[in-house]
Amino acid sequence: MNSHVESTARPMRARAAVAALALAIFFPACRAGSPAPVFPPGAQVLHLASLDDIPTLDPAAGYDVDSWMFEQMIFDTLIRYSDSGVDLVPDIAASWTASPDSTVFTFHLRRGVRFSNGRAVASADFKYAIERVLDPKTRSKGMEYYRGIVGAADFVAGRAKSVAGIETPDPWTIVFRLSAPDPIFPHKLAMPFAAAVPREVVARYGEDFSRHVVGSGPFMLRQWIGGQRIVLVRNPDYFVKGVPRLDGVVEAIGVNEDLQWFRFETGAIDLSAIPPAVFPYVIKTPRLKALTMRIVTMTTRYLGMNCQMPPFTDVRVRRAMNYAIDKRKLVAVINGRGIPANGVLPPSLPGYDPDLRGYPYDPARARALLEQAGYPHGFTATVWLPADQTMMVLAQSVQQDLALVGVQLKLKPVGFAPLLDAIRQPNTVPLFFSGWEADFPDPANFLDVLLSRAQWGANNDSWFYDPRFDALLAQAKPLADPVRRFALYRQAQRIAVADAPWVFLYFPVTWQIRQPWVHGLALNPMRPTRLDRVWLSPHPKPQ
Amino acid sequence: MLAYVVRRIFFGLIVLAGASLITFTIAYVMPADPAVAVAGAKADPQTLAVIRRQLGLDQPLYIQYAHYVDRALHGDLGRSYIRREAVTGLILSRFPATALLAATAIALSLLLGVAAGALAAAYRDRALDNWLLVAALMLVSMPVFWLGTLLLIGGGLYLRWFPLGGFDGPLSLVLPTLTLALGSAAYYSRILHASLAEALDQDYVRTAIGKGLSRRAAILRHAMPNAILPLVTIAGLDFAGLLSGVVLTETVFNWPGLGRLAFEAVFNLDLPLIMGTVLFSAALVVAANLLVDLLYAWLDPRIELGASRD
Amino acid sequence: MKPRLNFMETAGAVMVLGLAVVAIFAPLLAPHDPARAVAASFGDPWPPSRAFPLGADQLGRDVLSRIIYGARISLIVGVAAMAITLAIGVAIGLAAGFLGGAVDSLLMRFTDVMLTMPALLLAMALVTVLQPGLLTVLLVIGLVSWTQVARVVRAEALSISRRDFVLAARALGATRTRLIVRHVAPNVMPIIVVMAALGVSGTLLLDAGLSFLTLGVPPPTPSWGRMIEESTAYFRTAPWLAIFPGLAILYAVMGFNLLGHGYLRRRRRDASTR
Repeated sequence: MNSHVESTARPMRARAAVAALALAIFFPACRAGSPAPVFPPGAQVLHLASLDDIPTLDPAAGYDVDSWMFEQMIFDTLIRYSDSGVDLVPDIAASWTASPDSTVFTFHLRRGVRFSNGRAVASADFKYAIERVLDPKTRSKGMEYYRGIVGAADFVAGRAKSVAGIETPDPWTIVFRLSAPDPIFPHKLAMPFAAAVPREVVARYGEDFSRHVVGSGPFMLRQWIGGQRIVLVRNPDYFVKGVPRLDGVVEAIGVNEDLQWFRFETGAIDLSAIPPAVFPYVIKTPRLKALTMRIVTMTTRYLGMNCQMPPFTDVRVRRAMNYAIDKRKLVAVINGRGIPANGVLPPSLPGYDPDLRGYPYDPARARALLEQAGYPHGFTATVWLPADQTMMVLAQSVQQDLALVGVQLKLKPVGFAPLLDAIRQPNTVPLFFSGWEADFPDPANFLDVLLSRAQWGANNDSWFYDPRFDALLAQAKPLADPVRRFALYRQAQRIAVADAPWVFLYFPVTWQIRQPWVHGLALNPMRPTRLDRVWLSPHPKPQ
Repeated sequence: MLAYVVRRIFFGLIVLAGASLITFTIAYVMPADPAVAVAGAKADPQTLAVIRRQLGLDQPLYIQYAHYVDRALHGDLGRSYIRREAVTGLILSRFPATALLAATAIALSLLLGVAAGALAAAYRDRALDNWLLVAALMLVSMPVFWLGTLLLIGGGLYLRWFPLGGFDGPLSLVLPTLTLALGSAAYYSRILHASLAEALDQDYVRTAIGKGLSRRAAILRHAMPNAILPLVTIAGLDFAGLLSGVVLTETVFNWPGLGRLAFEAVFNLDLPLIMGTVLFSAALVVAANLLVDLLYAWLDPRIELGASRD
Repeated sequence: MKPRLNFMETAGAVMVLGLAVVAIFAPLLAPHDPARAVAASFGDPWPPSRAFPLGADQLGRDVLSRIIYGARISLIVGVAAMAITLAIGVAIGLAAGFLGGAVDSLLMRFTDVMLTMPALLLAMALVTVLQPGLLTVLLVIGLVSWTQVARVVRAEALSISRRDFVLAARALGATRTRLIVRHVAPNVMPIIVVMAALGVSGTLLLDAGLSFLTLGVPPPTPSWGRMIEESTAYFRTAPWLAIFPGLAILYAVMGFNLLGHGYLRRRRRDASTR
């Protein structure tokens, strides 16, 4: 561009040109942004802000925190989790039963629940929702959770018009028959994928249903302007009396953490994330610290090692990596918002093993192990990671630690999709940063999904295989009794930790801050926060 | 005239076809399966296979391209893999924010650029001229995201005059506009300075000055009208560039514009959205080129349409 | 070329030389290892102090040492990517301008296509395809910035190839290659020198932009653009983390800009006094 600086002139009718240009410039300025809906004075409106737009409001499509946060406000499932825990409680189903062998599940629906378009919710709406998720044309990310239902395979392949294993004997009863025992199946019905959606509205809008959602949940969509704001209003006909207590929820989009904090300080938003820069200050200030909430999420962050690629084929190398990385420093870099990991399962997960010691920071021991394994001078390895700011900083901390035991780490930051794809190819990715958020509060959701032989090329990204481990998983899987089930999983986890397919890094802790006038809020370890019981005491209006 | 316009539009379409082909090629040699991007981190292989088939990703590339072009010609740029919304809708929803920023930025840079350029020319080879040159060089030497960050720290954090980013009322427009405008104003001032200098060297202007016309009047009345034309050309093309989104400035200020949309598309491997945003930008640039040429011809009848511009 | 440099050129040359000296002697000048944690400032960066004159970042690293080492990668990227840009641009420009005809229109349409594509987006997509690394950054910058060079070189080549001495050489039976190498190329050299100096500054800014989007040369190599990117999380409490590396970029880019524009100014003066 700069080479243009020396230029030549040509004669012209300058004024006309300026006028034309001015016209061209100011024309688009005439329209930008639409007005936000106005709430009556005294309305209870919760103001939020987030950086990213909500990917979708369609329950069949969404599979991320932002989408689920809003989907669970707009839609209802048969059963759901309590506000602050992972125990299943009734939602539209007032009660349910399971057969002793965990293959038949029967749900009894409440009467008088209505979609916000006025139509009554019936068992057929749940059957339709799950069939929609299974339909290949929907391209739902939730397909796999319902494949275990009898007849699902035929339906997916187009050989059957409906799923034989979902029966709706009357509008208030729905029965699921599974082809194999699955004690955690009810949890799959608590995912937003299985929320009731009105068939007639979906048929009308097709793929644009996301923009015109109609559900039976505590809130309804009022306005959603991409990249700017989303507004929900109270559903006056929600089946729980007196809920929600809020009249509306307004989320401003495109607001990063720093900006959120700024708006929080002025009182313009009621809940905020705490950006890294101010975190130490918040913790040191009692007034602010009292307004924070924290929860240990059901998430594990790890550095995966490909057990089929040298030098990580050697368990001594994998253990050395575990000893070499200073997890406390790593957690300090993220403001202490994590707990150093002792194994695969996070502490908030039922079945967690508090007696597991894991790997303490011990570089001397790491060096000794590397020497035994034949790497007295260490080695060079490439680690793949998503190219985002936090991950890059964490990776550099690990890089510093490993350099001290002679392991030179090369960073390969890549886009999210290329990373996912490469990890699933054999012998491609030797090392990678990863993490897993629980879908169900059960050890199977970590151990089976991430480390079993059956998941090679899928979610077993460290290509780990131990027959003793797999045998324990197979034993535990059909057991409905938590005591026996968790005992087996505990044994399995001990094997995995000793074999060390990952460097177990940390369990993230989520922090939030609320205004003093926000009440009834609870964080959930596995799901986005629910807002239906939140209320606001009188407070000054922000400018 | 009409024949010329038709011919230009035809060439424009060829350029667009070329741009789409290049983007398509790059997008599809990316070392990743778009189905994985669609299905997310947790999908099992069966789900992936289903999605791949549904998106037509199991067909040969040239067929996929042909389908794309066919649909694009009918005005359908497809649906975003990640957001599942129509690409045209997504682009249009982000366009107002981008257009507003582009318009204010171009207006301010022309204003500042013309003022500084004229001032420098009036004080040619004197101290002020040199200082303006140094200032201009400094401004074009700054990384735009750094300038933006500095403005945020100064105007947002310390003075608290402006919001720390986001798209929220007229005040939020000030810092991003300044960020974009300062650099190009510096650049425009140098262009104008050069053309003014040349115009002032013309014999008739020298004669006028010799006869007692003030330097200021000479610049305003004689030199400026001629000198401003190249600036209009460049500003017109820049405007088209700005309209297609500015990734860095939008990143610094969390501006909900096309640049961020395109950035997310590349990061998420959202192929239809990548194709859509690139084609949209390319079309804007092609259209701006044509408009600028037509404007030129209309303003200056001596310019012969159809003659090569380079 | 006249040997006497004007003020801008002198200043530019001094600045660029200074940059080169810092880059070459970085290990002697830097007080610390730029990649190691030397301060306990984890998650809470330290302000400038006697021990850490420009502060320490959230990974405990000394900012001054990182800026000093950052000169290396900046200089390497700036010069090497500019060389690649020039190589592509000059080759295409000469071919189009001198061979003319179908080759010319084909190459120029291709240049048009490249000019309509948003450069930064194209660069991002290419980095994703080629995998991040120094070589990728160089190649990508070259691939997205050659168009301007090609256009200018083509225009010069066109005008030169119509001049008498070239026509005479052609009449004497000189081959096309020989004409390009012996006659046209030397005559477009001055403009190429200018584009080289200005090209480095453009390249440095593009590299900084890529680094800011985490697509530049990966760590532990300290890069100024990435330093700014990593500091954004702390800009409200630790603005110095963003300010100093930005000043470094400004300094480097300004040096090359002064060189290029100084030369242009001198040439214009020479032309007007002739």
